[in-house]
Amino acid sequence: MGIALKKISKSYNGQAVLKNLNLEINRGEFHVLLGPSGGGKTTILSVIAGLIRQDNGDVLIGKRNVSNLSPEKRKIGFVFQDYALFPHLTVFDNVAYGLRVKNVEESEINQKVEYYLSKVSIEKEKGKFSRQLSGGQKQRVALIRALITEPEILLLDEPMSNLDALTKETTGNELKTIQQEMGMTTVYVTHNQDEAILLGDRVSVLNHGEIEQIEAPDELFYHPKTEFVARFVGAKNILKVRIIEINQYGAVAQVNNSGLGQPVQIRVNKYPIFEKGKEINLCIHPEKISLKRENKASDVNLNRIRGKLINKTNNGNGLKATIDTNGMELHATIPKDLFDFKIHEDVWVCFAPDAPHPLCGKKCRAPEAGRRCLVTTQVDRLLGC
Amino acid sequence: MKKLSFDTAISFITGIFVCLIVLPMFALFTATSFGELINQFGSPLVLSAIAISLETSLIVVLLALCLGIPVAYLLAMKDFKGKEILDTLVDLPICMPPLVAGLALLILLGGNNKFGSMLSNCGIDLIFSKKGIIIAQLFVSMPFLIKSARGAFESINKNVTNASLTLGASKFYTFKKVLLPLAKNGIYAGMVMTWARALGEFGATSMVAGCIPLKTETMPVAIYQNAMSGELTSSIAIALLLLVFSFTSLLIFKSRVRGQTG
Ligand SMILES: Nc1ncnc2c1ncn2[C@@H]1O[C@H](COP(=O)(O)OP(=O)(O)OP(=O)(O)O)[C@@H](O)[C@H]1O
Ligand SMILES: [Mg+2]
Repeated sequence: MGIALKKISKSYNGQAVLKNLNLEINRGEFHVLLGPSGGGKTTILSVIAGLIRQDNGDVLIGKRNVSNLSPEKRKIGFVFQDYALFPHLTVFDNVAYGLRVKNVEESEINQKVEYYLSKVSIEKEKGKFSRQLSGGQKQRVALIRALITEPEILLLDEPMSNLDALTKETTGNELKTIQQEMGMTTVYVTHNQDEAILLGDRVSVLNHGEIEQIEAPDELFYHPKTEFVARFVGAKNILKVRIIEINQYGAVAQVNNSGLGQPVQIRVNKYPIFEKGKEINLCIHPEKISLKRENKASDVNLNRIRGKLINKTNNGNGLKATIDTNGMELHATIPKDLFDFKIHEDVWVCFAPDAPHPLCGKKCRAPEAGRRCLVTTQVDRLLGC
Repeated sequence: MKKLSFDTAISFITGIFVCLIVLPMFALFTATSFGELINQFGSPLVLSAIAISLETSLIVVLLALCLGIPVAYLLAMKDFKGKEILDTLVDLPICMPPLVAGLALLILLGGNNKFGSMLSNCGIDLIFSKKGIIIAQLFVSMPFLIKSARGAFESINKNVTNASLTLGASKFYTFKKVLLPLAKNGIYAGMVMTWARALGEFGATSMVAGCIPLKTETMPVAIYQNAMSGELTSSIAIALLLLVFSFTSLLIFKSRVRGQTG
């Protein structure tokens, strides 16, 4: 069963949390709802489940309008943000709950519960109470408690936010496998872009009760449509530019970010929406930026901007560097072994012309093929290649 | 220097408080000999007062459960117009002087009132009967159950209730299998407080049911009657028994409240 939210709005005490929200999720899809804390993610799930009544708009499951259906009739599995296991029941009885509600034979219940317990490898904990479980175990109990009723729709509210990185990855893969086996339409809420990319068939980004972009994870990651999405998926460098020239090789843009002392010109790939004189936002992923000490002639193909390293933070296998380029801050993620700069050192910020992407819709995605640059010729250089 | 005298003052005042509580009880325990006390429990008047008190107060606890839990559920789980008013109504009997409550009940249920005469035409006489005692006790003691049960319901994680609903359970099933078991300790605590309050109830009861020995004389009423007519020993006997009851309920209450939070 697919899910469709049509013009849903919801406010609490006059404060709008969901604003005319439309969302269609296909049958069998693993859909990730990505957004910052307080963005309305839990509210959306609660509206789908019928735990919160929307002020306006309709919820469709399959072809059926369920807006007036109480939650127990919607055939939805819900894994809550805080797991919400029944504290007075053992793991076994928690998992069996949904079957007992339906008066299933006790022997069948036994068999099914054992099956699901073993599926997520927590048979050993079946006699424990939730207060005796670790976060990861609780999460798995909550998951199979929802799965055992074989819901048509599975709603997961940040189910992995309490797990360590390693467990997260294995659990995520398990979850995805189970979802594919059982084939239920799944909505997975998170504020973590890595989870979104790992799990989602499609990802929608929620900002203040509105969906800013719905896309397959790769597309979303590399082609964010708005500044908010770009920042949220980690494309932290946003350049506000004016296109000053378009030629057969690409385009030349003038960066005018506020705070920037002097406009800088960069070369970028040519996109269909580019027009001479047009103001547009470009984003660059920090991984696409490299730092150099010298301005070598062999780097002539790269954009180079002079700056000063003002901060570096350790990020596991990479270093996050912040560079001040005459009033504009740029962020770069550099592999540790390539990083030998000191704070306050002057550096060249380098990135290829294909690194910046315009923040725009689908139509402008693919850059137009430009003629290959002939770096050596003076003419090409003049043309901004 | 200053700090020391301040601390001394605090300890001194606390000492006064302890004396205030302990001395009267000490006096009660040492007023008469053990043998005489035991003798009192052979008196039909004393035994009848104990029986009436136990019977009425236990019925009150059951009635309070039946009436109080739905009200507590409503107050804890729902938002509705007039919730504030209902909430105030629950608190009212706790603050209201019991004699005033008794007087109000007496007027309502008495023969001079339309409602009262209607009841008495149907053969239901509440005034000067055990039923009257029960109503008076219920009036003053039910709020304790409602407040305690409400608190217990409110402390249950909302998502636990939601989880039950999304697993296909009806509201009633959820109430039975999730809310009641989880609110158990709070409800027990409320029952104990209700019982203790009903058992000690004097003002409203004597107003509504009078003080008819062997018929409507409860333990507190008997203490008063006997003390006033010079039968101090039987007063003391009943009083000590009441004290044992309240002490037991206090212990049960404390253990339940601990069970709820722990
Ligand atoms: N019952 C409520 N009463 C009033 N405001 C509420 C209520 N529930 C949620 N809100 C508000 O609605 C907004 C969205 O809440 P919601 O729980 O949907 O956010 P979320 O995206 O799930 O956040 P998080 O990632 O922190 O869980 C928040 O600003 C929150 O304060
Ligand atoms: Mg949430």
